[in-house]
Amino acid sequence: MRARLKFLLFTLLAWPGLSAGERLPIDDKQAPETRKDLEAIQSALIAALPKVRAATVGIELEEGFGTGVIVSADGLILTAAHVSGGVKKKITVVLEDGTKLKAQTLGLNSETDAAMIRITEPGTWRFVEIDRNDSARLGDWVFALGHSGGFDKNRGLVTRLGRLVRLANSTFQSDCILIGGDSGGPLFDLQGRLVGINSRVGNEVQENMHVPMSEFVGKWDDLLKGEFIGEGPFTKKPVKGSGFLGLATDARPEGGLKVTKVGKKTPAETAGLKEGDVILKLNDTPLAKREDLQNLLKEMAEGDVITLDLLRGGKNETLTLNLGAR
Amino acid sequence: MISPAWGQQNLDAAFRSTGSAVVAAFESQRAVLQTSSAVLLDGREESGYGVIISSEGHILTKASEFLQLKKPTITVDRTKYPDVEMLAMDPEWDVVLLKIKASGLVPVVYAPTSAVPQGTWVVANGVTTRNARRVLTGIVSANIREIPVSGGPALGVVLKEGSKKLEIEDVAEKGGAQEAGIKKGDVILKVAGKAVKTISELSDALKDYKAGSKVEITLRREKKELALSVRLTAKSELFTEQANRNDQMSGDFSNRRSGFPRVLQHDILGTSKIVGGPLLDLDGRCLGMNIARANRAESFAIPVEDLKTLAERLMSQKPTEK
Repeated sequence: MRARLKFLLFTLLAWPGLSAGERLPIDDKQAPETRKDLEAIQSALIAALPKVRAATVGIELEEGFGTGVIVSADGLILTAAHVSGGVKKKITVVLEDGTKLKAQTLGLNSETDAAMIRITEPGTWRFVEIDRNDSARLGDWVFALGHSGGFDKNRGLVTRLGRLVRLANSTFQSDCILIGGDSGGPLFDLQGRLVGINSRVGNEVQENMHVPMSEFVGKWDDLLKGEFIGEGPFTKKPVKGSGFLGLATDARPEGGLKVTKVGKKTPAETAGLKEGDVILKLNDTPLAKREDLQNLLKEMAEGDVITLDLLRGGKNETLTLNLGAR
Repeated sequence: MISPAWGQQNLDAAFRSTGSAVVAAFESQRAVLQTSSAVLLDGREESGYGVIISSEGHILTKASEFLQLKKPTITVDRTKYPDVEMLAMDPEWDVVLLKIKASGLVPVVYAPTSAVPQGTWVVANGVTTRNARRVLTGIVSANIREIPVSGGPALGVVLKEGSKKLEIEDVAEKGGAQEAGIKKGDVILKVAGKAVKTISELSDALKDYKAGSKVEITLRREKKELALSVRLTAKSELFTEQANRNDQMSGDFSNRRSGFPRVLQHDILGTSKIVGGPLLDLDGRCLGMNIARANRAESFAIPVEDLKTLAERLMSQKPTEK
């Protein structure tokens, strides 16, 4: 309990000056009755869209495409765990205008489908406000954004309007119709506050599930630290020893491992390792024997990020890459 | 409606965004659909809608869906019109102009522009009762754009395998080749005057054309050469596309859902049968005509500017020969 209180204080300090979560009158009506009510929904949605679209990103995956949303000026992104797929992986995110940005996955909660990503390029990004006060209620008008079916620059992001139709533990259901590619995308209230992250659909078109913001807020620090939380079902924990680099080395008498062969289409080749390079350190651990490298890799898994200190043509270089799957 | 924060809460069906209580707010737009949209029936089965564009009974609808109907009849408001005449067709937009024997109908009022902001309410026909239209509602949900042909343009022929020439083994039903009178045994010699000898040369020659456009094909039939103007057909129109994962979760979608020069996209949730009717704004003005349900999250309408031009062109054409 104490830890929880501490944490809440931290979040309040980190996000000063947010609105206290006033509600729109239309959200307190059971149903719109008049033309004026319909216009209230329409004008709020039209006003909110440009700002939130600028903060919504596409996420390029090895297979397929997902969506995410920037929630801080320095490029923190919220998405779904089944989109980020793992922790501390290098990935690419795409703004609506097609600008590609380098990013890295942070933590994820494999039980609720929540995940964080950070843009690793310097810059200031447009971002959206999070509904930290858990102010979303059943029946609220909401809208979902996503790169439905994948990125399409001419089409842009696809907007869907609906209501919150079911609130249950760790899941919001809306009647905003989602499809593949929308996963990880944002669900907003009519004021453009982020209330959920698109997660999955049921058999019926009305069954569209979102991860509520409370699931992110409650695990904020762990997600930020890059923790892999839970045992699924949304993401499988990588198995130790499943990481693959794809090269052969020989130990040098003076220390370091000389690369004697780089396998085709391996993570080593993709990262640009070449025959003749000397690997001095892996994640700051000096390498003297081939077993040193093997023992370090044994403790790692597919998708893990490693940093190699190299000697290439007499010069020192550093290379960062993701391990592949064995 | 606001109840304690946790535990499971469900919103009654009536208050969901497609529920009866919400839809009731769209009564004035529903009244427009009642008189200015046509209901297409095939026998007793409701099979799509139409846009009424003249008081004398001119109606636009989706061509590829209309051509499927065995015994088409039309209902406007509460009146049944058993005789439906087909006046003209535009294969590129997949629109057909129909005529019923009527007078005093209320044509749609065109909206001044389809360039409305995303998030604008739109209203379309839903499944109707015998006497009353029902509405489906949604919003404009993406940028106006072209939908390129899925799978590219095709002639609609099957070529003989293992043959050293481009000999036609079969002609697909409903394809441009059949319309132009291409026959089994014909040999393709040229595309737009350029000689083609192999399948890859043929597909290269066709790849930059759009489905719906016409191309001159030179053939050898027996010992004569002849040139025919052939409408290129969308591959998706000829063959059932292989369903991808998104299609599998979409339920039904339109057979033809690509190859449109420009579409207005919206999120109205309907079946593939809801196409052909008008898409209205809150003022009840026609923003466009529904032309395809692409998947569960995306539906397309022909934007009003294009629809107006198309309507004028089809109205000025002579009746098609059948």
